[in-house]
Amino acid sequence: MDSDEASKERISESVSSQLKDILDLVRKEATHVNYWNAYKRIQRLNLKVLNIPDEKKIKIALLSSFTIDPLGMYLDIKSRLVGLYPEIYIGPFNQYQQEIIDEGSKLYAFKPDVVILAVQAESLLGEDFCSEFVKSSGKERYQTEIIDQFERLLSLLTSRTDSLVLVNNFIVPSFTPFGILDNKVDMGLKSFFYGLNQRLTDLYRESTQVYVVDLEGVASKHGKSRCLNFQMYYRGSFVFSGSFLSVIADEYMGYIKALKNLSRKCIVLDLDNVLWGGIIGEDGFDGIRLGKDSPGNAYVDFQRLLLSYYNRGIILAINSRNNYEDAIKVIREHPYMVLREKHFAAMRINWQDKVQNMIELAEEINVGLDSMVFVDDNPREREQIKQALPQVLVVDIPPSPFLYRQALESLNDFNVLALTEEDKMRGEMYYARRMRKQLEKSMVSLEDFLRSLEMKIVIKHADDFTLPRITRLINKTNQFNLTTRRYTDVEIKKMRENRDEFDIYSLQVIDKFGDEGIVGVAIVRKEPQTWILDSFLMSCRVIGRKVETAFLAKIVADARKKDISTIVGEYIPTQKNAPVKSFYLDHGFRKFQQEGEVSRWGLDLTRSTVKIPEWLEVKDE
Amino acid sequence: MNSSNEKKLKEILAKVLLVDRTKINDRMSRKDVKGWDSMAHLMLISEIESEFGVMMSDDDITEIKTVGDIKRVLRKLDVAI
Repeated sequence: MDSDEASKERISESVSSQLKDILDLVRKEATHVNYWNAYKRIQRLNLKVLNIPDEKKIKIALLSSFTIDPLGMYLDIKSRLVGLYPEIYIGPFNQYQQEIIDEGSKLYAFKPDVVILAVQAESLLGEDFCSEFVKSSGKERYQTEIIDQFERLLSLLTSRTDSLVLVNNFIVPSFTPFGILDNKVDMGLKSFFYGLNQRLTDLYRESTQVYVVDLEGVASKHGKSRCLNFQMYYRGSFVFSGSFLSVIADEYMGYIKALKNLSRKCIVLDLDNVLWGGIIGEDGFDGIRLGKDSPGNAYVDFQRLLLSYYNRGIILAINSRNNYEDAIKVIREHPYMVLREKHFAAMRINWQDKVQNMIELAEEINVGLDSMVFVDDNPREREQIKQALPQVLVVDIPPSPFLYRQALESLNDFNVLALTEEDKMRGEMYYARRMRKQLEKSMVSLEDFLRSLEMKIVIKHADDFTLPRITRLINKTNQFNLTTRRYTDVEIKKMRENRDEFDIYSLQVIDKFGDEGIVGVAIVRKEPQTWILDSFLMSCRVIGRKVETAFLAKIVADARKKDISTIVGEYIPTQKNAPVKSFYLDHGFRKFQQEGEVSRWGLDLTRSTVKIPEWLEVKDE
Repeated sequence: MNSSNEKKLKEILAKVLLVDRTKINDRMSRKDVKGWDSMAHLMLISEIESEFGVMMSDDDITEIKTVGDIKRVLRKLDVAI
């Protein structure tokens, strides 16, 4: 028995992992042919061996007046991509009426959770309707006939099942024989369809079971000329092109996610280069981009979109690496901020790991991590959240702030099916709480994450190529800067030439995402027995990745080679450099002197040292 | 003969028909491949047309029975393959 169960489990695990590999192909490249390929391969898997909880199952029935199989393919894959296990029923070609009327039909035997009804106007009005339209009289009567027919069919359907019913409205044709006079004549062809759609919408406004899907709106957004692929239409009567099918399926997924409690409730936002352009800690209150001019206006616009979500009940929160005082001043006082403190349910503005912040935010707001959406401009931060908290939806926002708004608008993850009963809500809350507890256990550590970045660092003495960048860093860096001493390029060149007294180091960081370039500088003042760290600084881009430890370790190692006995680090506090307050303490230095603001810390090389974190590869040059 | 076009065609065939690309040869026919039904055939033609920027005639499409046939039609449409 036991070995039987074990082998069952092994088979199930193997099918799961095959399924994941297949879906990853679509995740990587969502082309029509990849959807096809994934769909066909999944059909060949023995999915019956999987043990699926009921809340992840969904049965979708498609009824239509045309060939709709490819839509089934898209719904199948898109459901699987959000963790559902769909079963899809496709009604026989153009028999949607019989399927609904016949109580013994396969449709009812299938017991669908969702019924999608996609009917083309031509099938109701006859194929010559549009060509005869100009001559026909009593056009409103046709509208009434269609509406009556829908009402009869749908009241039968809803009396026989509890399933959610999604009815497409009609795509308004972009061609009308009336041309520019379409809205001057008694009823033009376009007006006919606009009116029809309005009547359909009004009919089901109050319904909690039937939802009218705005296919017309979806088609307009996609571009009506791109909705049809003529080859596929005339050769195989496929009404929708591949690109449009994907968009329609996304629209349906909005309803399906809402039905299956997969909708998101909370948007967690980074600050720098998300709510405003630039870095507050570097650029300052007056230097960040937020206002009437480009690109500041794009950030204002993005905030307006967030405000509209907030007004609809979506929770907003902040997860940002910053000095709290700097950031909160912008939120409270900047004239062009649209979002203020009161709009955020919770804020984590600190130097803590963002994963930890995320978990704390979920706890404080009391929502599940699977209800959260994370918006951050930094691909590394995004990657870290994706790895550690796969339940969080991480938005891959485009590099340009001009496109932020569009990226967030295109998500179909914030939908609800209105009248959710209170009981259901409560259940969801407990579910979220439980999920969170499970998650904490499975969370990968910060070290695992850093290891996965495959970081390499290059530490060199300053040379002609690196000097301009070194000078810029010395004069620009505020946050990770132990002494904040500024030097002109003349002063730096002099130090460089005086090799007996000074060493200038540069730090370059490369990881699997690419080359960060030179991100750190150290200036060492050399005395006979002692090396003094006159300057030690790093760009905030790489804070939190422990590269500073490797940088320091390299200098310590060099000192050791020269038989130096003590390294002295200086720390001069400023308004901006709080993140490095305990830098020397954390690395085993002891404070031996306080002179005004300047504290001096010593590391006795005969007794202690600084080790390079083992996941960092240091390249010597 | 153009090896990059050959590669592109094989890529499409492999993805649409779920066949191992190393086993694709000119003699491979609709009869031999389980997944090469009429739906897959349309899908195949549509992908090939958009990849190579050509439009095949309906007669050609029905006459295509093997991978060799596809290449013959493509050559007729001035695709080097």
